[in-house]
Amino acid sequence: MFTHHTSRRHGTLRKGWQRCLAGAAALALAGSLATAPAQAATSEAPADDNVLRIATDGFVDSFNPFTSFYLVPTNTFRYMYENLVANDAKDGSVTEGLATEWTTDSDGKVWTYTMRPDMKWSDDEPLTSKDVAWTYNQMMEKDEMAVANGSLVENFEKVEAPDESTLVITLKKPQANNPGQEIPVVPEHVWSKIDKPSDFKNDEQSVGSGPFQLESYEANKSITLKANPNFWRGKPKLDEIQYRYYTNSDAQVQAIRSGEVDFITGLSPDQFTALEGAKNVELNDGHGRRFNGISINPGVADAKGKEFGTGNEALKDKKVRQAIRAGIDTETLRKQVMQDYAQPATSFIPAVYPTWALKPDNKVISGFDVSKAKKLLDDAGWKEGSDGIREKDGKKLKLRFLTDADNPIEENTAKFIKPWMKDIGIDLDNESTDVDTVSERTTKGDYDMYFSAWSINPDPDYQLSINTCGQRPDADGNGGTSQDGWCNKEFDKLYQAQHVELDKAKRAELVQKALAIHYEEAPSVTLWYPNQLEASRSDRFDNFTKQPTDGGGIANQVGYWGYASVEPVSEEDAAGGGGLGAGGWIGIAAAVIVVLGGGGWLLSRRKKSDDRE
Amino acid sequence: MSTPTHDDPQPGESRPEDPRPGDPAAPDASPENSTAASAPGSVGTADMDEPPAGGSFARYLLGKIGGAATSMVLVILLGFFAFRMLPGDPVLKIAKERPMSPAQIAELYRQYGLDKPVIVQFWDYLVGIVTGDLGESYVYRKSVSSLIGDYLGPTLLLTATAAVIAIALGLWLGQLSAWRRNSLFDKLASSTSLVFWSVPTFWLGLILLMIFGGTLQWLPTGGMITPGLDPWSPAGIIDVIKHLILPVISLVAVVYAQFLMVMRASLLEEMNEDYLTTARAKGLNEDEVRRRHAVPNALLPTVTVVFLHIGGLIAGAVTVEAVFSWPGLGKLTFEAIRGPDLPLLQGTFVVFSAIIILMNLAADIVYRFLDPRVRRA
Repeated sequence: MFTHHTSRRHGTLRKGWQRCLAGAAALALAGSLATAPAQAATSEAPADDNVLRIATDGFVDSFNPFTSFYLVPTNTFRYMYENLVANDAKDGSVTEGLATEWTTDSDGKVWTYTMRPDMKWSDDEPLTSKDVAWTYNQMMEKDEMAVANGSLVENFEKVEAPDESTLVITLKKPQANNPGQEIPVVPEHVWSKIDKPSDFKNDEQSVGSGPFQLESYEANKSITLKANPNFWRGKPKLDEIQYRYYTNSDAQVQAIRSGEVDFITGLSPDQFTALEGAKNVELNDGHGRRFNGISINPGVADAKGKEFGTGNEALKDKKVRQAIRAGIDTETLRKQVMQDYAQPATSFIPAVYPTWALKPDNKVISGFDVSKAKKLLDDAGWKEGSDGIREKDGKKLKLRFLTDADNPIEENTAKFIKPWMKDIGIDLDNESTDVDTVSERTTKGDYDMYFSAWSINPDPDYQLSINTCGQRPDADGNGGTSQDGWCNKEFDKLYQAQHVELDKAKRAELVQKALAIHYEEAPSVTLWYPNQLEASRSDRFDNFTKQPTDGGGIANQVGYWGYASVEPVSEEDAAGGGGLGAGGWIGIAAAVIVVLGGGGWLLSRRKKSDDRE
Repeated sequence: MSTPTHDDPQPGESRPEDPRPGDPAAPDASPENSTAASAPGSVGTADMDEPPAGGSFARYLLGKIGGAATSMVLVILLGFFAFRMLPGDPVLKIAKERPMSPAQIAELYRQYGLDKPVIVQFWDYLVGIVTGDLGESYVYRKSVSSLIGDYLGPTLLLTATAAVIAIALGLWLGQLSAWRRNSLFDKLASSTSLVFWSVPTFWLGLILLMIFGGTLQWLPTGGMITPGLDPWSPAGIIDVIKHLILPVISLVAVVYAQFLMVMRASLLEEMNEDYLTTARAKGLNEDEVRRRHAVPNALLPTVTVVFLHIGGLIAGAVTVEAVFSWPGLGKLTFEAIRGPDLPLLQGTFVVFSAIIILMNLAADIVYRFLDPRVRRA
């Protein structure tokens, strides 16, 4: 409300403008200096040595694993509840969780798990296969309990616990992907006593099986987690994790500099660079599990093939889409726009999952090649016009590129791509708008190209599934989710084949083939895999675990590795932050009083001697 | 409190321009509207300048209340339709980047009440407003009324502190500047305040945060209290005060100029009044003349302007709360936009608007009591 007063008052400052400005600056500095230290003279209570403080700005609806889908609660569930099987830190592959081993019948329809013996919940009650069966059945039977993770149990026919150490999942259709991943298992003895479990907030004193349990939650202030002594891998070395709320990411950067928080994540390249050399701050430039790309409208249609939207007809021709890829210099973008904080990309499964990601040496992969782009467009019948823009049947090749105006990375990408497209004869119209408009227009198919981003889980099945024909939603967004609104029968066959292929090596080969088709068809151009930029206080904690362990990220992991291994550094190293001793503060306070008092006295002297005008 | 005859005060409309050098005593009442940028001010002052001819107080009051009620109705209508016209589907936003089956998406539409026709949603909203039920927040899964109740306290603490300081500082500097206009002090005080006024709040906030939070580490970088402290313990109170300093400075720095300018202009008008000469003739020294005679009269038009700006100050908290992670209504609004959490947005919009409308109404009524000409009319 007060931010943009147009200054009609410049007239006031006609005379002695410079002098006034200098005076203003001096006053401002004096003013702020004067107020701050006088109040700050009491030093902050020393931070508990064994509490890891993490800055966050995430939404929390509740900590109910059946209904909450926001990022912060979902990440917290990974620390609160062990899954039937976990994803390891090394490369995200399936490893033991509540179950120590598992077998499946020959076609992957019946999965039998053997539970780890003598496990206990954090309240010392025994943890058995009955708890797992109860949890899964809740999600299968009740719509309101399936809000968050319903899609993960969609293929479940029945789940049974024949005895306390065995769990049997019978699927509707065979699947290769282990069905016990990423579904938080809750204690039946607690949840079955709750009247309406879907309305349960679960926001204090949680009972779970993971390394940390939720102690308390204060909306927009803090989330406190306490170490669970009954965690089967052993009690974590940290006593507590405390999330603190920071709305503004620049404020988070200041908080890590001042040592008010011990860990922050999700930094922009600029913020990351600004923290280089900051005292006691250790940076982690981790390879991430996200991809950024440009989605190209291949003629979106719903699952029945009925087309909708305003996509340019030219893009239905895959040669035009391939030409766009060949015309984009992704390596320059990665270095200039991402300042090298991103990994070179092939397809939509990121390189942190080496088993599945499309290998860079695959023969379909083609790089930046302007002459090839021009040839592809020539072949497609788009001939260069007098102004350099190609045309066909009297129509110019003019495309729209949707970006989010608030996102500098998208804006910068658009700035680079526009002239590149002009070079190959495409008139690119950069439409930068707000993120909600982008979302609405892409749902309606009202776009030619837009900047897209996805986060990918260790198993590629889901992301592949949303590239199949049957997953395409209609213009209202009903029916499914599609990555690019693209449909290819051959891809669908490969998807089905890998979906049921139990042999990992054979399945990987099928995935490679499917990704190669997607690459060749070019319904989207994957630009890069952005790094996850993070910072921690090296004077307080070390031994964070990354996922993948070799150069990965600490936050937003699929699992509880990141903070579970953290330990405080020794006392001597931890002492001596940037603060002043009590003596220093008293000195500053005294100086302020003298300055303020003296100034006031001087002012009042002046006043007395002033003549009346 | 009776005043000698003087020009129409035009509190919100005096331009803080220095009198020309050759004409030192010229009263400064240029009509150029300088507070047009602060919306609540300009509307209210236009009405107040012309006392209704021959109207009784009751009629005046009813007129003002009627105007406020009309504004409120418009706000309520706008609150529903404006946010629905904005692009962005809250459910699709959640479904994006997350494995969700069609059944899950349908369940969310049902829970949010978005599966009903708009006209039914609108009726529910109207009935809700009348009964004090503002719906349930999508994100917090709590009633919007109770959320607003929870977050109003911190906002009031922040804005009230900032208002008191800004008003005291602005009025004090303003009267000193006017009394010694064209002195170095006047130039420094006026121009500094104007420089700060032109600065975007969030920018100033971030700079303060960087200097005093990140670099010097004198003050906390965000929040209202260190988690785990009891706010009513002595340590807790000191902690809250430390968290208050930077947000309050940001708010004060950006707004105190308007109080300074109004006070300065108002006092300048009083300065060549005969009664001041009389006071001097009685043997009072300059300070006493200023304090006992000039300032009380000059305060009269200032008070109403102050009222008009308090409502705006609360709305200005949105930016500051977002920068300093202050857990108040402003932050709640900021996050609701990100959602988009429609019921919460509607709720905070209606509440903010109601505060501003009520403050304008209060300004009208206070003015009526303070200005004898209006009162007698």
